[in-house]
Amino acid sequence: MAPRNTDDPNGISRRRFVASMAATGCVAAASSGVLLADGRFVIPNAEGFLVVDTKKCQGCGSCMMACSLAHSGSASYTESRIQIMQDSFGNWPDDLFIAQCRQCQNAPCVEVCPTGANHVDEANGNVRRVDPEMCIGCRMCIQACPFTPARLQWDKDRRKSQKCDLCVDTPFLDEKGGPDGIQACVRVCPVKAIAFTREMPSQTLTDAAYQVNLRDWVWKRLGMTAE
Amino acid sequence: MTLYGYAGKILRLDLSAQRAIEVDTADYRSWGGGHGLGSALFWDFCRNKTITDGRDPANVVVVTSSPLNGTLAPSAGRCEVVGVGLNTYPVHWYTRSNIGGRFGTMIRHAGYDAIVIEGKAPRPVWVDVRNRKVVFHDAADLWGTDTRTAQERIWQKIGVPRDVRTGWWNLNETAEEALDPATDQGRTTQRPAIMTIGPAGENQTCGGCLVHDAGNVAAVAGFGGVWGSKNLKAISVIGTGEIPVADATALLRARAIVKEKYTSNIEQPDFEAWSKIGKQPRLMAMVSPPTDQYRPQACQGCVSGCRARYSVGYGHETKCQVTSWYFAPSRRVARSAEELVEINLRAADAAQRSGLNTYFALTGLHWLEHLVEEGLLGPGKTIHSDLPWEKYGTLEFAEKLVHALSCREDIGADLADGWVQAAHKWGREEDLRTGDMAFSYWGQPEHGYDPRAEVEWGYGSILGDRDICEHCFNIIFTNITAAFAFAKPMRIGAEELVSIISEKLSPYAKNRPEVLDYSDENMYSENVAQLVRWHRHYTRFYKESALYCDLRWPDFYNTNTPDNRGATASEDAGEHVFWNAVTGDKLSFEDGIELGRRIWNLDNAIWTLQGRHRDMVKFAPFIYETKYEKGELFPFFMWPCRDADGTWVYRDLMGRSMDRQKFEDFKTSFYRLEGWDVASGWPTRATLEGLDLPEVAATLDAAGRLGKESSS
Repeated sequence: MAPRNTDDPNGISRRRFVASMAATGCVAAASSGVLLADGRFVIPNAEGFLVVDTKKCQGCGSCMMACSLAHSGSASYTESRIQIMQDSFGNWPDDLFIAQCRQCQNAPCVEVCPTGANHVDEANGNVRRVDPEMCIGCRMCIQACPFTPARLQWDKDRRKSQKCDLCVDTPFLDEKGGPDGIQACVRVCPVKAIAFTREMPSQTLTDAAYQVNLRDWVWKRLGMTAE
Repeated sequence: MTLYGYAGKILRLDLSAQRAIEVDTADYRSWGGGHGLGSALFWDFCRNKTITDGRDPANVVVVTSSPLNGTLAPSAGRCEVVGVGLNTYPVHWYTRSNIGGRFGTMIRHAGYDAIVIEGKAPRPVWVDVRNRKVVFHDAADLWGTDTRTAQERIWQKIGVPRDVRTGWWNLNETAEEALDPATDQGRTTQRPAIMTIGPAGENQTCGGCLVHDAGNVAAVAGFGGVWGSKNLKAISVIGTGEIPVADATALLRARAIVKEKYTSNIEQPDFEAWSKIGKQPRLMAMVSPPTDQYRPQACQGCVSGCRARYSVGYGHETKCQVTSWYFAPSRRVARSAEELVEINLRAADAAQRSGLNTYFALTGLHWLEHLVEEGLLGPGKTIHSDLPWEKYGTLEFAEKLVHALSCREDIGADLADGWVQAAHKWGREEDLRTGDMAFSYWGQPEHGYDPRAEVEWGYGSILGDRDICEHCFNIIFTNITAAFAFAKPMRIGAEELVSIISEKLSPYAKNRPEVLDYSDENMYSENVAQLVRWHRHYTRFYKESALYCDLRWPDFYNTNTPDNRGATASEDAGEHVFWNAVTGDKLSFEDGIELGRRIWNLDNAIWTLQGRHRDMVKFAPFIYETKYEKGELFPFFMWPCRDADGTWVYRDLMGRSMDRQKFEDFKTSFYRLEGWDVASGWPTRATLEGLDLPEVAATLDAAGRLGKESSS
């Protein structure tokens, strides 16, 4: 069962919430969400999230390659929806960082999109996605992302923004992607340093809740800490 | 027309004129990539292929990628370097080296499939390559720095954010010298991949390496010294380009098969699996890790990282022999296991930062010890040395030795031009006869896999240009020796093992298990010659051109599968499957072997022009005149052998020597099978033209070095 937006008044379903708000004339529809009278933008929670173990990642970049291959059929680091950044001379665990889209509860990138290209895909687990046909390349979504590095990518050749869709739109993957299917990065990771979860991590302005410990007795047996 | 798998351009760096020239990769497409591409480029752009010193300004060094780099082909993230080297005897052959990490991948994102380095810069330079913009920079402030400092300074010059969490940086905005601002160059979170030399290279020593990141090293060929002679400190590559892939779906599917069929499940792994591709990440260091606070660290696209980055701040990304080059002496002085580990990893760091090849230490340190014990080496001795030999085994001594060898000081003044060369200079030829100096072939040290026992390693090395460092069949020794040594289960019996392997030795030895009979009776046979041929051709294409990792391929046998068959040559996840998915080719596995034969023949043509003759193809005297009696790790050396009654067993091969005449007979057999002149070892016109190399035959003919056709 997908988690629900716990910030919703009374914890009621989005459908009931939107209906009740609309009845009172307190909301304005905007890009799959509703804008409350107090200025808050509310959208249904995503039904899937990627969490990572930065202490476990071996830095092979396979997830980046798989991501761009599954989505566009070509190999590109720049266009990967997940980014692995490393400093060869840095000390563990600060030598590497993984930046994946958080499928934010409030999703500023969705809120700011002027065309609705960046939207909530209700047919696919409320994944926050960019419709390339509607994207006008204004990059406002990239600027709106509150995280560093921004979890959206700029496709310089097509001049459009893009982001992680949990593999909903992966024409080069011969399996079903998305929250009810597989995610290419999770599938390919040799050490299982990326995991898919339906439990929404805590929504804070740090990545802490999205960085989890995926190390177990096997990791310890291989000689590395599981702590 | 889309050139699937390729960036599409080759970069020529004319260092003399400091000029960049682009060549279309399409013109070299038939060579595949990596070594094959490099040999073809060397052939075309090296104007004097008779040179025998890598420091000759006419020398051309090619740094090449593979279509598989950065594409998800499993453990195919290597990078190949070719050119005339600086680390063999009696001739510095046209040779090769190989390096992991990110460089091979990032070249392609920067827009190139290979970089051809020509001429000699008038003063030290480094080269900045970003999205096909090439800038030569003065390297005055980098010359003299170690490899880490050089890389960190270049990152700073280019404008790379220091913190890995800083995020995207714009190739147009942050560099000292911006790219074309009219064109969107894109953004990246990645650091430029830099290949650089340290003092050992700057001083043009035979031990000069090319170093990338903390611990990726192209070492054995001495290309660091070659770069030093060209006044080339470093090349930095970064880009935001994408590589077109012919069939991404097939590529993703095959990669998933490697994980799900051929690899032990990481949640319930078989820690003792016999496989190359199907192992869990495990540190491949010769000393214990200093802490459990580390991650496995992998080359790009690897399924199983074999290096580490630690919390302790030393030993990063160093593996294998480099972690133990100083082990034997340090073991005598270390007061604890922890100190022993720290001395060795810090000694490794010293070599990496100096850009010094540590392979000399495999047997070279024993030789130096022998000279000291004999009273020949030391302060005021026949071979004078002011090194603090009384501190031999300490980290201080290791650092001083690294410095001396890197800077041509003390005994390094002689050893910098080659260890066997120094032995001759010091009047110690006898040590090559007794084995006190165990440098087996072409002036290079014994690898630990003695030619008298592991014949395919020795034959491959002496018939080629260097210590092969190709562990294709060596995994047999590793698996069965470890089982014997540590009383582990023998996962596959000898008869089944040779049967499975031989199924994959197409075309020369398919289903001929007798080629894997390492017994005394078979070691000089046509059977073994076929094995060596297969090995030479397999590695020239799949391992050195497609750039599959030596440690992960070939996967002959694999106990993770129900029938113990590995991924190699399979139709679901074989080497050629990934090649075809990326490039759109329709290669069979055997087509790849044949392409390797073509590359191998081109290499032999270059060696022939350099002066190669079969009379030079000889092991060091101790291989013939002494018995192999002291193993590197164990007092036995196990290999499959066939008894007189045809029964296959694993047998200890210690205690034998090589017979000179029988080895000569073996060479004749090998040359005949290769279609080379058995009298000279030179390629013949028929062989070269059969490989669509008529211009190579014409060049050899003009040089008077074309092999005579066999009369039979």
